[in-house]
This record gives sequence, structure tokens and C-alpha cells, in this order.
Amino acid sequence: MAVIGSATDTLNTALKSNIVPDQEYLLQGSVLDQYVEVLLHRLRGLCDNVDSGPESFHDHELCFTLRATSGPGSAMVLPLRVRRALDVPEAPWQLRYVGQHELGDKNRPTVVRSSIDMACSSTIVEFLTELGCRMDFEYISRGYMFRKGRMKITVSKVFKMGGLTNKPGESVEPISQSYLVELSVLAPSGQDAIAEDMRVFAEQLKPLVHLEKIDYKRLAHLQ
Amino acid sequence: MAYNSNSVNISVEAPIENQIQEITYDGQEIYQAPLTLSESLAKYAQKIDFSRALSEINVKKESGDNSDDSKSDGDSKDAFQSNLWPWDSIRNKLRNAYQEVCVLSDVLTIAKEKRYMVLDPVQQEPIETKPMVQIYARKKALTGAASVLLTGAERLKTSQNELLRNRSTPDFHIELLRLRQNWRLKKVSNSIIGDLSYRTAGSKYAQSGMFEVTKAEEEEKSSSPPSSPMPVPAPAKSNSSLRVTVPSELQGVAYIEVLCQKDQEDLCSANINLLNSAPTTANPDVHWQQKLEAAQNVLFCKELFNQLAKEAVQLQAPIPHMVVGNQIMATVLPGIQLVIGLCHSTSSEKKSSQLTPPPSKSDHDHVLEHSLHQLLREVHHKNTHHPFPHPSSAPLGPSKKRYLAGPMAADRYELLEMTQSETLLEQIIKQAQHFFMRMRTEYVLDTIAKEVKDPLISSHWNTLNSPTQSCVKINISTHGYDAVCRTPLVIHVGEKSLKCICRDGKVMHMSYEPQELRDLIFCHINQHQILAVQALAKTMGWQFLGNSNHLGLGAVEPLGNASSCLLASPIGDRLIAVRCEPQSGVQVSVVHSPRTDFFPSRLVTERKWEHLGGQFREVRLEKMEGRNFLHKMELLMASLTSNS
Repeated sequence: MAVIGSATDTLNTALKSNIVPDQEYLLQGSVLDQYVEVLLHRLRGLCDNVDSGPESFHDHELCFTLRATSGPGSAMVLPLRVRRALDVPEAPWQLRYVGQHELGDKNRPTVVRSSIDMACSSTIVEFLTELGCRMDFEYISRGYMFRKGRMKITVSKVFKMGGLTNKPGESVEPISQSYLVELSVLAPSGQDAIAEDMRVFAEQLKPLVHLEKIDYKRLAHLQ
Repeated sequence: MAYNSNSVNISVEAPIENQIQEITYDGQEIYQAPLTLSESLAKYAQKIDFSRALSEINVKKESGDNSDDSKSDGDSKDAFQSNLWPWDSIRNKLRNAYQEVCVLSDVLTIAKEKRYMVLDPVQQEPIETKPMVQIYARKKALTGAASVLLTGAERLKTSQNELLRNRSTPDFHIELLRLRQNWRLKKVSNSIIGDLSYRTAGSKYAQSGMFEVTKAEEEEKSSSPPSSPMPVPAPAKSNSSLRVTVPSELQGVAYIEVLCQKDQEDLCSANINLLNSAPTTANPDVHWQQKLEAAQNVLFCKELFNQLAKEAVQLQAPIPHMVVGNQIMATVLPGIQLVIGLCHSTSSEKKSSQLTPPPSKSDHDHVLEHSLHQLLREVHHKNTHHPFPHPSSAPLGPSKKRYLAGPMAADRYELLEMTQSETLLEQIIKQAQHFFMRMRTEYVLDTIAKEVKDPLISSHWNTLNSPTQSCVKINISTHGYDAVCRTPLVIHVGEKSLKCICRDGKVMHMSYEPQELRDLIFCHINQHQILAVQALAKTMGWQFLGNSNHLGLGAVEPLGNASSCLLASPIGDRLIAVRCEPQSGVQVSVVHSPRTDFFPSRLVTERKWEHLGGQFREVRLEKMEGRNFLHKMELLMASLTSNS
């Protein structure tokens, strides 16, 4: 018991001293299929260690929600994402919580959201289901990732899981005619300097892709 | 005009060319700009006689047409008087001049009449000329002229050189482009700044590697004029139109010197000895590429040494590492030190070192130096080549192992193990230890092979080995009897220990002391001899009665035990006993039973008792014929067999 107590204390002090990277700085954009090669070419020129070619990935993501009825009427919705790499079967699964977007004012160059993630085994889906989570949707994301210093750039295509077949790679259809481009950095809170670096980097990708702060609320409004 | 009857007509007209304002010393003519319309108007206006315009001036003997002209001009002038007032001064001056000319003409008229006045020439005093002054003046004038000519010639020469150079060396911008292809450059206000540090390659060393790129200036004025009319640039001259300036702390040549020394013998004399092969980079004539490479090397060596020194201070070694000035000292094996020094020579030091060539002492270990470079580059590579996470939303930093720690339920010990990594110094010490172990093993094996001719000892080193592990296979065999018996041994040479895998599968661990290996090999030589005799006996049809690897009889051996075997001839009438001792060698004895001839005595009355055997008699092997021990044994067995 004492050991667990001390571990919690250590975690708390770590959180307090801002050394846990739990803030995600994010910029998003999209590029049409026919221009993605040009974008990849430019990213190869800008990013670190692409001498061996860009790193590809093929992930499957399941989004769960946990509805906690803390009181009558006020239902708290907790989103949880489970992601696994389809191309690297030995890699662990990942459970991730992503918080609300903070758009901030105009001076802030990126979206900031809290992000907590951990590696876990494949039994996480059963565990979450037992816990009362409900799967909202799932998708497959396939593309390339790059890194530049602490920044991670992913260029991916999002596929819909088709029909009832739950097997990956079968009957998937792309959601759109474009690729999703994300520029993200995971950093401890308070490190706003990195956001400026991201803005500069995003500037270099113009006009191939405009990486912006996307306001999801407005997107919901458009629909 | 007044006396035009006596004078000659002179026509004056303006030259077609522009007037020359100035002729510079090198013969260049600077022309006056042609007059503009208003300027020429002013010029012509100056010629106007304004006397007629003013009534108070009394007109002398003027021709009518002239006065008419001036009258009309005066009228026109009156019309412009209000706005051409600035010409008033000109008019006044002209009037004064006119007055003077009138007076002069009066005087001349009077003088010409010769009635009132006679003009007599006045004897003028001759100007006194001093010859020396004249010479000095001429000399001064001539030197002035000469300097003008020389500067003109110089200028011509530089322009010609420029042309030549432009033909032989590429343009500054092309050079800059080449530089840009290999080095990082950026423009800061008016200058071009480059960065030669390894930061982009993963280095975290704080010192900056800035250098400045400038256009090479024209050749120095001090360069002596060439004797030949066509100046040929000297071959040593850099023909680059680009110059790089590296900070002074990165100039010169640097390298990491790695010495291995025994005991304290040359502890104090292990000073820096400079390699004389490398070119000095302080020399401005060195090409920029070499200069930058040298500076980069200096930076790299500094980083390496800095890292090693930091580790040497932090590491807790049983015998603490010493860091003194530019040297790190670490104990590799008892009595053997590894000395790592940073040698950095600038050009001034170089000169002094050339005067007194340093005596070459302990050998600089190029292999370890190379390993050190390799180790740091590995660190750099690891700093930049983080593995990409899978799935892609996972964080970038942690290693794959660490990421797996959660699902695999790693304990505290495993997690701590993940954080530990070997420092550069530890790694290089291990390599040095291995180097010494290998050397010692080689030495032991070679000396034994030299000492012992029978049996033969051959060792095969594996070509594939790592910096801290190698392997040697030893074969003990007798010449001519390889097929009969062979004793193979495998020795793994580690960092501080040896592992020997014997013929029978036994594994022996040994320390770094070479004597242990030596003893082991000698034991195996004895064993080999005994086993070889047994194997030979089988082929000869002899019977093998028994053997003992650890004989309890005889004198106590300093190392190991004596081994022996007993052989019987095919019909059993003869026995051979072989005793092998590590120290004294091989003893062979024979016994005959029964003897070929029997003489009954009082004690032994019957022949059958002879079968019990008698006294062993030692064979003097050294007197026997045969190339080696086994050959002798074969001959012995053969001779004993044939007799029966």
C-alpha cells in the first residue's frame, strides 16, 4: 500500500512540475489525392532522416464513449480511442484520451488539447466493453509519417470500415478524395514556443497544404 | 576693330570637339560638357557691348554698324532688364574693361605718334638660376611622373590579373553554390554565415561551429612584381574567389590520441606529439573545403574529448580515472593505462614543433582512435534516428522497449535496466581491454608454438569478430599423424577473461593473467601425447591396457598431474609404459615377458613365471631414431612387434 501511495505521489509531483507531456499541439489540413505526391516530396526535403524513405503506417482506430451518469440529466461523455497498428502486429495497442480543443485567440498558432495515452494489450477492447463503453465508430488510417525535431507529421487517408466484416483490409472504402495532413507535438503544458515552430513549419508547406486550427464546432454547424 | 587697317584678319572659330577640362595623369581626358542653350545665351550676352545703352558713356571712334548692333542689343536688353538683372555685374565689368581698353588705345596712339612720348626698352635683370635647385626640381618632377606611370602600370596589371584569374578560377557565385551544396549557409544581414557543427547530425555539443564566407580580396599589394611580362600565378596560390573564416578555436589540426602504456614508465613523457602529415589550416591558401573539413574535425574531436572527460569524472571506477588538462587516464588492466589525449595544433605551435621533432614514443593506437570516432557517431545517429511509433498516434520519444514495458508488465528492475546505457569511456575501455587480452593470447600461443616443436600447435583466429570479442581455434597435432589424433581447443577472448572449450567439452574460465592460459595449453599438450600414443597403438594392433590422466605416482608436478598409459604388444609378451609430465616431458619404459631366452634359476624355476613380467627398462628416447615422439613410438612398437 505504501508503495502504491508513493507511486501516486511521484506521479502527482511529476504532473505538478510540468514534465509529463500531456498537451498536444495540433494543426490540421488536407490535400487532394492527385497532389499528395508533391506534398510527400516536399516533406522528404524538409524532415529529418528520410534517407531511408518515408515511414508508412496502417492503423485501425476504434472510438469508444463512456457515458457516466453522475447525476440525473447531466450525462458526462468520456471519449476513448483505441488504436492498433495493422502493419506491425507485435506493436502494443494504444489507448488514448483526447480532451477538448482549445482554439485560443488569434495569437495562438495551434490548437492545444490535452492528450493522455498508454500502451496496452489487445484485451483492451473487451475491458472497455466490460466497463460499459460503447463503440461509436471505427476507421482505418493509412499513410506516411515524418518527423522534424519534436514535430510529427502524418499524411494519411481515412477509410471507412465496410459492412459487417470486421476483418481489416477487406472491403474498406476511402471516405474522401483527399488525404488528412496533421502536424502535432506532444509536450508538457506551458511550452508554447513549440507552437511557434509549428507555425513556421506549416508556413513552409504552403501552398501545397494549408495547416490550420480547425474548429470542429463550426464543422458540425456546417453539416 | 579700331585699327583693322593695319592688322591681319584672324578668323577664330570654335573647335568641333568639346573643350578639354582636365587631363589626368594616365592620359585620360575629361571633356567639358557642351553648353546648354541658356549657357550659350549667357556666353553670347557677355560679348554684347552695353556702352551704348547708357547715355553717359561718350562714344569714341566707333564704326557705325557696330554701334548699331550694340544699340539694338541694348534695346533688347532694356526690354529684358527687369528680369535679366543678374547680368548687371557683367555689364559693369564690361564697361570698365571698355574704359581701360579706350585708355590703352589712347596711350598707344600717343606712343605711335612719337611726338609726345618715346618708349624705350628697359634692360631687364637676368633671372639668376641655381643649377642644383633646377636639378632637384627636375628630379622631383620626374619622380612625380614616374609614380604616375607606376601606378598606371599597377592598375593595368591588376586588371590583367583579374582577367586571367577569371579565366582560371570560377566565379564567386559559382563557388558559393558549390559551398552551399555541402555546407549549411544562411544570410545574416550583409554577411554569409555558415554552420559546420554536427548539430543537424544529432550532436548536442554546445560549442557553435559558425564560419563566415567572404569574397576573396584582390591579391596583396606587397606581392612582388613578376619578372616575366606575362604574370603567371604561383601554383601554391589558392585560386578560389571565396574565402572562409573559421573561429580561431577551430583552426588548426586536431585529433584524439590514444595511447596504451604499461605502468608508469612514460606517464610524464606522454606528451602531445603532432602528426606532421596534416596540412595546417591557418594558411590562407588552403582550399575552403579542406579548411572547413579540418575545422569540423576539430569540433568533433573537442566534442568527443569533452564527452569522455565528463564521463571519466562521473564514472565510479575501482581505480578512479584521471583527467588532467588535455588527457584522460584510465586503468584498463592492472599495470596498463589507457591514455586519451586531445591534440590540437595551430600553425604557431606547428612551427615550434617542426623545429624540435617530437620523439615517437608509445604507439598511437589508430584502431582505438577510430573506435572512439565511431562510438560518438553512433551516439549522434541514435540522437536523430528515433524509431517511429506504431500505431502512428503514439508519442515520438520513448523507445520501443519502453513502450512495451506497460503491456508486458515490466518490473522496476527492467525499467531501471532500460535507462542504463554504456558510456563511451566504458565502451572504449572494454575495447582496450579486449585488445590487450587478444594481444596477450596471441603472444602466449605464439611463444608456446615456438617453444614446443612436438607436437605442433597451430592457431586459427576467426576473421569475424567484434570489438570486444574474438575467438581462436587451436589444434594440437603431431606432424605426420594428424589423422591419428588431433586435440582441438577453442578459446573465446573476452574483455577481461578467457573462456576455453576443451576437447572433451569442458569449459574453462580464465582470468586476464597470461600464465593461466599457458598452463592450460601445456596440460593439453601432455594429454595430447598420451591420447596420441593410445590411438597409435590401436592402429599398430597393440593393446591398450589402461591409462590415467592424473597419476598419483612420482614427484609432485608444479602444475597439473602426470598422465600415463600402458600398452601391450599383440601377443602380450611386451609392455610399453608411457609417462607424460608437464615439466620433465615424456618417459617411456618397456618390459619383456617372457624373455626370449630362459635360464632357470633358483628363484624362478619355471618358464611360466616369466609371464608375470619383470623390471621396466627406460627407453632413451633422445637416442632413438624418429622425427617426433609419435614416430619414435611407432618405430618402437614396430620393432617390439616384429621380434615376436
